[in-house]
Formats: sequence, structure tokens, C-alpha cells
Amino acid sequence: MDRALLHELRAILGPRGLIEDRTRRVAYECDGLAFERRVPELVLLPADTAQAARCMRALHDHGVPVVPRGAGTGLTGGATPVEGGVVIGTARMRRVLELDPVDRIARVEAGLVNVELSRAAAKHGLFYAPDPSSQRACTLGGNVANNAGGPHCFRHGNTTRHVVGLVAVMHDGEVLDLSEPRVDPLGDDLVGLLVGSEGMFALVTEITVRLTPAPQRVETLLAVFDDLDAACDAVSEMIAEQLEPSALEILDKLTIEAVEASVFAAGYPPDAEAVLLIEVEGSDAEVEANSAGIARVLERRGALETRRATGDEERAKLWAGRKGAYGAMGRVAPDLYVTDVVVPRTKLRELVRRTTEICRERGLKVANVFHAGDGNLHPNVSYDRRDPDEVARVLDAGEKIMEVCIEAGGTLSGEHGIGLEKQKQMHLYFSPADLDAMERPRDVFDPARRMNPGKTLPIRACMETRTRPIAAASSDPAARRASPDAAAAQSTSDRERPR
Amino acid sequence: MQLTELVDYAKSLDCVHCGLCLHTCPTYLLTGNESSSPRGRIHLMRSVAEGAAEADADFAEEMDFCLLCRHCESVCPSGVRFGRMMETTRAGLAESRQRPHVEQLARDFGFGTVLPSRAWLSMLAGLARFGQRLGLDRAAAAFLGERGAPIASMPPVPPADERRPLPRYTPAEGEVTGEVAVLEGCVMPELFGRVNRATVACLSAAGREVHCSRGATCCGSLHAHNGERALARRLTRETVEAHEALEAEVGTALPMVVNSAGCAAHLVEAHEVFAEDDPFVPRARAFAAKVIDFSRAFDGEARDRLAARLGRGPARRVAWDDPCHLCHGQGVRDEPRALIDLLPDVERVELEDSEACCGSAGVYSLARPADAAGVFAPKRDAFARSGADALVTGNPGCHLQWHAGLRAAGDDAPVLHLAELVAERLTPTPAGDAR
Ligand SMILES: Cc1cc2nc3c(=O)[nH]c(=O)nc-3n(C[C@H](O)[C@H](O)[C@H](O)COP(=O)(O)OP(=O)(O)OC[C@H]3O[C@@H](n4cnc5c(N)ncnc54)[C@H](O)[C@@H]3O)c2cc1C
Ligand code: SF4
Ligand code: SF4
Repeated sequence: MDRALLHELRAILGPRGLIEDRTRRVAYECDGLAFERRVPELVLLPADTAQAARCMRALHDHGVPVVPRGAGTGLTGGATPVEGGVVIGTARMRRVLELDPVDRIARVEAGLVNVELSRAAAKHGLFYAPDPSSQRACTLGGNVANNAGGPHCFRHGNTTRHVVGLVAVMHDGEVLDLSEPRVDPLGDDLVGLLVGSEGMFALVTEITVRLTPAPQRVETLLAVFDDLDAACDAVSEMIAEQLEPSALEILDKLTIEAVEASVFAAGYPPDAEAVLLIEVEGSDAEVEANSAGIARVLERRGALETRRATGDEERAKLWAGRKGAYGAMGRVAPDLYVTDVVVPRTKLRELVRRTTEICRERGLKVANVFHAGDGNLHPNVSYDRRDPDEVARVLDAGEKIMEVCIEAGGTLSGEHGIGLEKQKQMHLYFSPADLDAMERPRDVFDPARRMNPGKTLPIRACMETRTRPIAAASSDPAARRASPDAAAAQSTSDRERPR
Repeated sequence: MQLTELVDYAKSLDCVHCGLCLHTCPTYLLTGNESSSPRGRIHLMRSVAEGAAEADADFAEEMDFCLLCRHCESVCPSGVRFGRMMETTRAGLAESRQRPHVEQLARDFGFGTVLPSRAWLSMLAGLARFGQRLGLDRAAAAFLGERGAPIASMPPVPPADERRPLPRYTPAEGEVTGEVAVLEGCVMPELFGRVNRATVACLSAAGREVHCSRGATCCGSLHAHNGERALARRLTRETVEAHEALEAEVGTALPMVVNSAGCAAHLVEAHEVFAEDDPFVPRARAFAAKVIDFSRAFDGEARDRLAARLGRGPARRVAWDDPCHLCHGQGVRDEPRALIDLLPDVERVELEDSEACCGSAGVYSLARPADAAGVFAPKRDAFARSGADALVTGNPGCHLQWHAGLRAAGDDAPVLHLAELVAERLTPTPAGDAR
């Protein structure tokens, strides 16, 4: 690292604002995806937008690449500095700057942890709807960058539906203030463009979000099945019947076992093959009507039992179990690979089966826990990163799963983003013309390609595909056959999603 | 030493790197630095074992910076046993690293000489009291600057009378409901003799015959936390043996009631300080199963008996602050609250983030006063917001930290051990009409 630059950064940030020694930097070599790692040359922890802007300016002057980082809970390698450079973390920027309970708007710093916003909002009978399972750790900035979803986004929509303003620091240190909340912006919708941009357009430092009034009544149901297929069918049928639960999640047997062995044991019956966690919210009448409809479907599909959470405590427990499911899988093997694909909700049963087979064929252990209502599958594949052969099989399975889902009319990502993990598969879904189009805004935001380099878009040259070494085996780019339903669930186009 | 022995490599593999523990870690909240987070520390341990990072001074500093509060364990879905892992790493570091000479001498003296010895502890307590009376403590604190902060904020050492040892046997008041042993502790009798006496008074009022052995002083928990593994083993063993001897003398198995959450958390896992194949393990395990925190010593009949003995006392609005080694270390959360709710003239309010560490962390607040103060700051604010006029805890370290922290902020709210809060309401005779 250039001495003059270091000197300048130290002056801007003070001693606790930058991490120079190698040992500590090792903690920043990857996010939740542990395949690929690289230790950043420096880690910066600015305390506010002004500091961040001065850092960005200095880094621009010295031509150093920048990788934004929230809490590093991303599952696609988005915050991993694959091409070296400097990591800018938002962990010291976590204030709630403003919360207006009347306008139902909050302005927060990008490093605020998702659950803290919900906590602040709850004091006013409001909540922040996007609730990723990682909400106890992930930051709003990371949510914005990945357009994060969560169980309750089934009803309320992913992050992009809730962000109404942003402050972002551009690649050269310019501060772009879009914080004035605008539901329908005059001119270009820059906020919409920045949401889902995976840290490649700008460093987001402040976020203005819409808060939602807490529903009059909430009911949480746990339906127990002795067959995963039947649970999937029940979901497809609820969708077909236009029933409107606010969340619709499936956990399979292996997941149930892992959760029940963990600190988040929720009381899921350990002998069930699958459970369906359903939440219904709204006015008394709505809840009654919806619940009755749902109960009928569950019965028709052979649910062994349907439990109704009796109080807030039991409800919280059922959800904590769901949200701890990923980590609980750590009991099965040292590492975990979570794919994130979206499939048409009419084909849940067949695709859940197919993805499970794909893993089994490769001798891999897979657990299914997913946002069923959204058709957003998350096969959790356990592996040991020290075993290169197993890693190769995992990557191969991941690739195959994406292929199969796209063929069936699904799409690449529901909420985790593309990052490093799915770079290569962008070809399966997008044509060269699409990819060209995606390059264009980058030319505007980041002409020198210093912002989170090496992510999302595959590097293309002479009709050949070169991607980061994460791609183990190659596969023929299949033609893109997407149904509008699944395509709509993809990151940046969430706004058009049919509800 | 092999790198994989320096840290607990096998346990580090339990971590799936999900990050769900980050936001509960006090040192991460203080710095925003991921290497000061549980996941970061585990990642560093693992990297050291795999040869991808060095166990250098920066590594050692991150390990020292950890409070060992084990909050990360309470939120880890993967069941990572962070406390054990950190103890192993610190033991590995203690064996391999060179500390400054003076610091090493001070450590050896404190851990090796003072804590295991009642004579040394008493003498130092006497000296400290003498110094405090002459105002020497303030002079020393001023002389030492920041390092002297803990001296300045130390509560007055009680007079010799309060520091007398517990009786070896205290009869039950009224009909006997059972027999128990209590752990007298190392620092407890010197600084918190009144808490020990309150503990015995409550148990006796509940119909328990109370025994106290003389065979052991320190249980070794501070040693285990700080990487002094050999000493930790010796002291834990002595504690187990003393209890066995007491049981032999009394002629019956005795539950071991402990009023210090830090010691109890160590003792409920007493067998784990020994190597797996150590022949002492079964004895330690049998002992560990008998250890219970004070708040859990009143079940069924004992609870009713205690309730019948409760009368009026000073009206208080109290906040219970969960000691880390009670809630995270032993999973005990409801019992202390239930006990408080039993008390006449006491209103209990919840403290926000009551499961967050107060920064005491054993000898941490002595070794790293500035960090400890940083960790305490949000606790102090939460207390102010709670509207409580007294703080109740169940661990001597937290007791000192709260006392000092509130005083430093100009708040003279009393800090009480749960046993004291109960004992101040005990009536001389059954008071059936008191409630
Ligand atoms: C247990 C577990 C459960 C999860 N469940 C869900 C879920 O239900 N739904 C879901 O959507 N995701 C889920 N995720 C994935 C992950 O938590 C989300 O993607 C989250 O939004 C990442 O936030 P973060 O703060 O950790 O960001 P990071 O991982 O640090 O970064 C993610 C991406 O955002 C960029 N970024 C971060 N901050 C900024 C900023 N201020 N400005 C610009 N770019 C930035 C980074 O460069 C990176 O590309 C889960 C992850 C885990 C480990
Ligand atoms: S919560 Fe547990 S598994 Fe997840 S990062 Fe922390 S220690 Fe590792
Ligand atoms: S024990 Fe406490 S301080 Fe140490 S890593 Fe865990 S949460 Fe952080």
C-alpha cells in the first residue's frame, strides 16, 4: 500500500478506523461463502458519510479498488475482495438518524443492523418488513446492495419496495444525496438502480426506508407433514387459490433435526418429514377468512396436524427456529453452501425433488429450508472445504441446480445476489445483449471498474467466457427460457413482481 | 507446540461462518472490527491452525480483548463452544508467548500465589482496608493514571468482622427440608462476606441445613479463563476433593449452591478442564452435576418455606442484570426473576439488553480498564432508562463493575446481590400474613 495514501487515510479515520495488520485483515478474507478467499490490503471503517467520502476520494486518486462490506453475511462472495484492494466496512456507521412515526419513514446509516431498525420501529407500532433470516446480523446497506428478501417479503416485497431514499458515495468521493423520500421520482429512478447493485455502483452510506404499521392481528400456523411432496403441493395450491398468507416457509426433516438440536429448538416435531410455517396477518376478518382457507388446503393435502401459536412467545420461537436453520446445519458438516434459486410455484414439488436428487447423485448431504411462497428454493448443501473433491462436487451440484431451475422457467437468484457464486451462470439466463446492457450503467457509475471488481458480470472476450476460478467445471450455456413469473422474482426487477 | 494444539482446531470447524453472532459481541460493537467478533476470532484461530495466519502479537491481543462473556454461544445456531475454544487458545498462548517481565510476575503472583491462598487473600484485604482508610488508594490511583482506575473505584473493603469465614454448619430454621453445601469462594469472603451470609440465611430460612467446607479456596475459574490451565486443574481438583470430603463427613450427597455465577459456570463443567482421558474426569463430572446457582436452590417446598418467611423490607424498584455466566454460561434466566417476583415491596423492571456483558469479566476490568468502561457505557444508559432505583446481580465481578460504574457516573443507586435482596426481607419468624 502506497505510503502517502496510508498516511492520508490514517489522518481521515484515526487509529480505530483502519485495520492495517495482516492478522486482523484475515477476518475479512471472505463472507458467508467460504470457497474463495483473499485478504484485503487494508480495511477502512469510516464513522460517517463525510469520512467515507474523503476515503473514497483518496482511494480514487490512487486508483485502488474498493469492496464495500456490511456484516459479511452475504452468501455469494459479494464482500470478498477477490481482486485485492481495500475493504470499506460500515460497522461503525449504525445510527438511526431519524424516525418519523407519522410519515412512517426512517433514515438510517448503512451499517445499522436490520433487527435494530425493527426494534426502533416497534416502539411506534411499526415494523420494517424485509426480514432476512440473517436479520440479527446483516446490515441495511448489505440488504440494499443485495435487494434482500425474507419470509415476510412474500407479502410485503423485497428491500427495493421499501427503500425510498439513499445517500451514496460515488467512486471518486462525490456524495450523491438522494435522501429526500420520493415514491415516484422526477427524472431517473437512481435509488431503484442502486438497490440490488451489489456494491458495484457506489458505497451506500445512508438509507431512507418506509416503515409498515404492525398488523392488527397475526396468526402463526405450523402444519406438520409426513411427506415433503405434500407440503410443496399444499403451497402450490394455496397460491393457485389466491390465499394470501404473509409468509409461507418449508423446512424438511434434516433441517428440523438440526434446528431441534440447537439453541433455537422451536418444538418442530422431530419425526415429521416436513413442516410448513405459515403466517397470516391483517384485520380480524381477513385473518379468519385466510386461515380458514389455508386450513382447508392443509387438510386436503394430508397435513397430520396444524398447530396455532398461542402467544407472542411461541410465535417468536417458531420463527427463531426458522431463522437459525442455516447456522444449525453447521452441526452436520463444517461448511455449508446455500443455493438461492427461484422456480415457478406450480412446480415446487418436482423441482425440490430434482434438486435433492442432484445432490444425492453427487454423494452430498442436502437439507431444504426455503421461502416456499415465493418459489425461492434454498438447498443447503453440507461439505468440508478442506476436501477439494467434495468442493468440486458441491460446485457442480450448484451449477446443475441452477441449470435445471432455469430450464423449468425459473431464475438464478431470489435474494442473495449474484456475487462470485453465480457469475458464470449469468449466461444461462441472459443473452450477450442483456449483459452488454448491464455493463452500460457501470460505465457511468464506475468507469475505471474499481468498485467491487470481479463480481456479478462475467468477463467476456471473443465469444469466450472467463470467470473467476470459482467455476470448477464448464457447461454449455443453455438457452434462456424464463417464465415471466419467476423472472420477476429476480433481484433488480422486483418492482414489477405480480402480487 | 503444534499449531493445531495451540488452538482448538476441531471445535473451530463447528463454525459455519454465518455471522449471526456478530451483533451480540461487545468487543465488535465497541470497535466494528470483525477480528474482534466471535466469528472473526474463530476464523483467526482456524487460520492459525491451518498455517494461514500467525499467532503473533496481534492475534494474542484479539484473544485477550475477548471478554469471554459467551454471549456468542447463546445465539450460535451451530452450537459452537466458544468459551472452551477461547480457554484452549489462551492456554496455548500462555505457554508460547513472552509477556513483559513485570506483567508476567504480577500474573504469577496473582494467579499462583494470592488466589489459591486464604492467608494471602485475607492479608491483602486487610492491607487494602488499611490503605483505603488512610486515603492511600486515591494516591496510588492518581499515581498509576488510567491503570489505577480500578483501585480508585474499588468499594470499601469491609471491616474484619464482616470478613470472618462462614460457619462450617448452619442449622435449618424450623423443619428441615434438605441439606446443602455452599461454596465460600476466594474473593467473596473478603469483599462480599455479607453476601455469603445472606446466602446462608436464605437457605436456612428455607429449611436447608447448610454446610461449608474449609478444604478449598479458589475454584480455578479465573485461571481457566485466563489460560492458566495447570493451575485451573489443580484448584478445580481441590474444590472437588473438598466437596467429596465434606460429603463423606456429613454422610450424604450434597448439592453445591454457588452464589457467584462465574464460579458456577466453571464448576458445572468442572470435568472439562481436564484432559479427556484423565482418571479424575468421572469424579469431576459427578461433582459438576451437583452444582447449582443460588437462584435455583429454592424449588417446591423450599420455595414455599422461604416465601412464608418473607416480610416487609425497603421498597425498591429493581432491575435484574443477567450475569453472562449465568444466562449464557448456565442458561439460567427465569429463576432469578421468579425469586425477585416473590418479594414483598419489590417491583421488578426489565433492563434493556440485560444479557449484554457489563465489562467486568473476571479480571478483565483490572487488566483493561478502558475497554471495560467502554463495554459498560451502554449498560449504564440502559439502567438510567429502566427507571429502577437498585441494580440486582448474581456475580461478584458484575457487582464490583456496577458499583464502580454507577458511582463514576454520579449515580449512587445501590447494587445488591440477589441473596441480599431476599435476605433483607427475612422476618425472624414465619410471617404468613406478610404478603
Ligand atoms: C444465516 C443466513 C441467513 C440468510 N437469510 C437470508 C434471507 O432470508 N434473505 C436474504 O435476502 N438474504 C439472506 N442471507 C444473505 C445475506 O444475509 C444478505 O444478502 C444480506 O443482505 C447481506 O448483508 P450484509 O450486511 O451481511 O452484507 P455483506 O455480506 O457484507 O455484503 C453483501 C453485498 O453488499 C455489498 N455492500 C454491503 N454494504 C454496502 C454498502 N453500504 N454500500 C454498497 N454495497 C454494500 C457488498 O459489497 C456485497 O456485495 C442470509 C445469510 C445468512 C448467513
Ligand atoms: S453464530 Fe456460530 S456458526 Fe455462526 S459465525 Fe458465529 S460462531 Fe460461527
Ligand atoms: S465471548 Fe463475548 S467478547 Fe468474546 S467473542 Fe464471544 S461475545 Fe465476543
